[in-house]
Amino acid sequence: MAAADRSDLLQGTLDMLILKTLDASPLHGYAIAQQINRTSRALLHVPQGSLYPALHRLENRGWLDAQWTETESGREAKVYKLTRKGRARLETEIAGWRRLTEGIALVLEGA
Amino acid sequence: MNWVMRVWHRDRLDRDLDKELRFHVDEETQRLVAGGMRPDDARRTAMAAFGGIEPIKEAARDVRGSRWLEDLVQDARYAARTMRRAPVFATAAVLSLAIGIGANTAVFGVVDALLLRPLPVPDAGELSYAVRTGPSTDGQMLQARSRFSYPAAQRFAAELQAVHGRVGAMAAVTRMQVTAGADDQAELVLGQLVGGSWFGVLGVAAQRGRLLAEADDVDIGGAPVAVISDRYWTRRFGRDPSVVGSTIRLNGYPVTIVGVAAPRFEGFWIGEPVDVWVPTGLQQQVKYAANADIDGDAKSTQPWRPQDRIAWLTLVARVPSPTPRSVASSAMDVTFRRDLEPLAAKISDPQRRAFVLRTHAALADGSRGMSSLREDFGAAIIVLMATVALVLLIACANLANLLMARGASRAREFALRLSLGARRGRLVRQLLTESLALSLVGGVLSLLFAKAGSDALLRMASDGPAPLSLDVSTSWPIVLFAIAASMVTGVLFGLMPALRFSRADVHDAMKSGGRVVAASGGLSIGRLLVVAQVALSFVLLAGALMFVRTLHNLLAIDPGFDAARLVTAKLDPRMAGYTPKTMTSFRERLLAATREIPGAQASAVAMCGTMAGCHSISDIDVPGRQRGVGDDADVQEDYVSDGYFGALGMTVVSGRNFLPSDTPESPRVAIVNETMARHFFGDVNPIGRVFVEGDKYEIVGVVRDSRINGLRDTPPRMAFYPFSQHPDTLMRSVYVRTRSDVRQAAEGLRAAIREADRGLAVREVVTLAELEERSIARERLVSTLTSTFGLLAVAVACLGLYAMVSYSVSRRTNEIGIRLALGASPANVRWLIMRETLVLLVVGLCVGIAATMPTARLIASLLYGLTPRDPVAFASAVAVLSVVAMLAGAWPAWRASRVDPSLALRID
Repeated sequence: MAAADRSDLLQGTLDMLILKTLDASPLHGYAIAQQINRTSRALLHVPQGSLYPALHRLENRGWLDAQWTETESGREAKVYKLTRKGRARLETEIAGWRRLTEGIALVLEGA
Repeated sequence: MNWVMRVWHRDRLDRDLDKELRFHVDEETQRLVAGGMRPDDARRTAMAAFGGIEPIKEAARDVRGSRWLEDLVQDARYAARTMRRAPVFATAAVLSLAIGIGANTAVFGVVDALLLRPLPVPDAGELSYAVRTGPSTDGQMLQARSRFSYPAAQRFAAELQAVHGRVGAMAAVTRMQVTAGADDQAELVLGQLVGGSWFGVLGVAAQRGRLLAEADDVDIGGAPVAVISDRYWTRRFGRDPSVVGSTIRLNGYPVTIVGVAAPRFEGFWIGEPVDVWVPTGLQQQVKYAANADIDGDAKSTQPWRPQDRIAWLTLVARVPSPTPRSVASSAMDVTFRRDLEPLAAKISDPQRRAFVLRTHAALADGSRGMSSLREDFGAAIIVLMATVALVLLIACANLANLLMARGASRAREFALRLSLGARRGRLVRQLLTESLALSLVGGVLSLLFAKAGSDALLRMASDGPAPLSLDVSTSWPIVLFAIAASMVTGVLFGLMPALRFSRADVHDAMKSGGRVVAASGGLSIGRLLVVAQVALSFVLLAGALMFVRTLHNLLAIDPGFDAARLVTAKLDPRMAGYTPKTMTSFRERLLAATREIPGAQASAVAMCGTMAGCHSISDIDVPGRQRGVGDDADVQEDYVSDGYFGALGMTVVSGRNFLPSDTPESPRVAIVNETMARHFFGDVNPIGRVFVEGDKYEIVGVVRDSRINGLRDTPPRMAFYPFSQHPDTLMRSVYVRTRSDVRQAAEGLRAAIREADRGLAVREVVTLAELEERSIARERLVSTLTSTFGLLAVAVACLGLYAMVSYSVSRRTNEIGIRLALGASPANVRWLIMRETLVLLVVGLCVGIAATMPTARLIASLLYGLTPRDPVAFASAVAVLSVVAMLAGAWPAWRASRVDPSLALRID
């Protein structure tokens, strides 16, 4: 988090990133953090301090479903999966994000 | 997982969270090791990246959305642990709360049954009943104010059709004699004559067979059918379904049971649960002949139904929404006035005519049925409710004080938690959870004996042989009341200590080794609580003393008859089939049998008798006397055998007693009481004067006034007539005065009645002293309970005061030591401490007196022979409280004066 070339996550975008990451395949918490880090080419770093509260919040809202499953290493991990409600939510989040970035771009170009 | 489940699985959730986070750290460590880091460093780095596991756990717990409930569960567990650690305190607190809440719940059970509960019928809110209002009805009982004739009921029903309202008529609930089947044992039940539309108007359903319908009540003397209540079906027939279709004899007349009414439905009169309903057309057949207003020109021995001048039916109306009750009420008044005005026009005296014309009729809320108990007992039960509520408040104040004292020892714990960052709200919540846990356990325990308390209340409040017939079985409203009372109690006694300790000054508490250093003197919460306790117990004590004085005044009354060694029985020969023609022979047989009772000194019979709950009132004319306004010519009448005054110990003060020479052929004679003589004749000697009540009566004697209608009621104007001149008249009371034991005499009287007629059911045989006692049963109940609770309150308040002063003495030990060392005398020190008691007492008394003055008015109707500002009661309450409070304060003061200065100074 201390690295200067990594952007801090914008408030509220973490939920969207988690949902998007889980859209591809179910993953456990650690893998979600790694996946976001990897696909963003290390530009985005998920702070653990926010990840787990966010996962539990999304689970409580019914957007994620969690199950304890055995990993390749033979240990039990809590694997999260996107629910149907979660998928719908992801779409609204993406649409919202698109509008936001479009708006910001217009302002930046216009200025 | 919903939030209840989450709380349930709180431990598992926490374990899972832990496991999940550990998994993350392990994975990160492995990745770093794979990257070439040493395992120890890798683990440290992974942990550091996490930035501490606990805050994450907290944050993850917070998002569960059930945090408050988890905290509650935690607090409750903590409360349970605290209680286990101080079992004596917890037991004492729970028990006193159980008793306090239980007393409230018990009284509430009666309040609910009598005043609050709607009738168990659909849309009870649509029901009303008709009453007459105006000066002519003042002082009349509810049943008397709500009497109308059958034709009037039909006219009102026609009027109400415009708003789709319906009317059902019912007679008074009366005792009837039932004989069923082959076993000839006569049994007394409560019966009621009802119109054909009555069950339909109420909306009651049948659980067996059918109820009475319009077709059953068309002809006079028509359908011989009856409906029985669930309770009677259970009691008498053991819920045997074959009872429908069977025949019982009601006051000798055979009727067929056609159905059983729905469970829980016991009629419209609360406190008079009906066993048997029959159609109004059977009025003559079942010999219903009381509870009516019968005009002079009516034919009371003919069927009552078609007669417009006999008022005997209460009208129950159902006015479907949205029509408001007021619309139907004015329709009732219109109908009533249309009948009244032509009658009033015939009255020649203009004053009397105006008086009669001030009478109106209206509909009253019938959703909770009708009850005469509400008038007699409603005010008393509300006083009792207030009393037990005040006692609970005082107990709350005491518990708050106890918690404060205990809190003092826990102050270090609170200070520590505050300094470790606990929010104040969280501490308050925890302390409140502890007090609520205590009060809820108390509340649940209280439900175990609340029903028994209600039953005891109904027994004590009864003015008859059986407890009041109110259903006080545990129901939802009662359980909810107990829970609500517990919650309020818990918050009341828990909030003050909670607020007080959650702002404990951290530094002070830590420094002084766990002892709270409270500001000395001033207005502490503890002092406020003691003042409140003294004030509340003054209110209770002053009230209780007024009720005790009321009872005392009533007991001091000379009833005007001699109740010692006098037994009486109530019976109704008509139920056994006696007619006016056979009445004389029965009366003589019975009187002869009573004279054979061993030890019998005298015996007599009367139509109504003394304290028998029977009134016959007529309007008389005194030739040459101008009538006043209102009921001023009404007199209460009774027919008695010639030995009546002698047997009851009533003195004939002038003129003569009835004589065997007063026969049906000789001129009609009457003996009047002093009140009647004074009212109609003033100072003039009434002997030889004449009054007219149908016949012309000559007054031959004046008898001393007596409390015929109960100790509380001032003697009415009374006229007595001899049976010897009116042999056909009904007799309902028999009296025997004995030289020996009253129980033997009661047995003898029972046997004598059996000898006179085997088939006659006797309601009860009882001593007159017992009847006298019953006529003041409610005054005795109120004075016993309020004085018990009042004394309890004083004891509790003085305990609180004692604890407060002792505590302050222990806190000021070194100050006292210094004073003594500097030369103060023990007397000075005693005064110093007593002053504190005095201040608390005087302030408490002032608040108490100020609170009692305006509220005492509310109990005025329950007092007898004193005003609600009775100086004796106030002064005695002040004296009792002062003496007890000074005694409570004297002990700590004496201890303070015995403090050893050298020891006191060394303590700190």
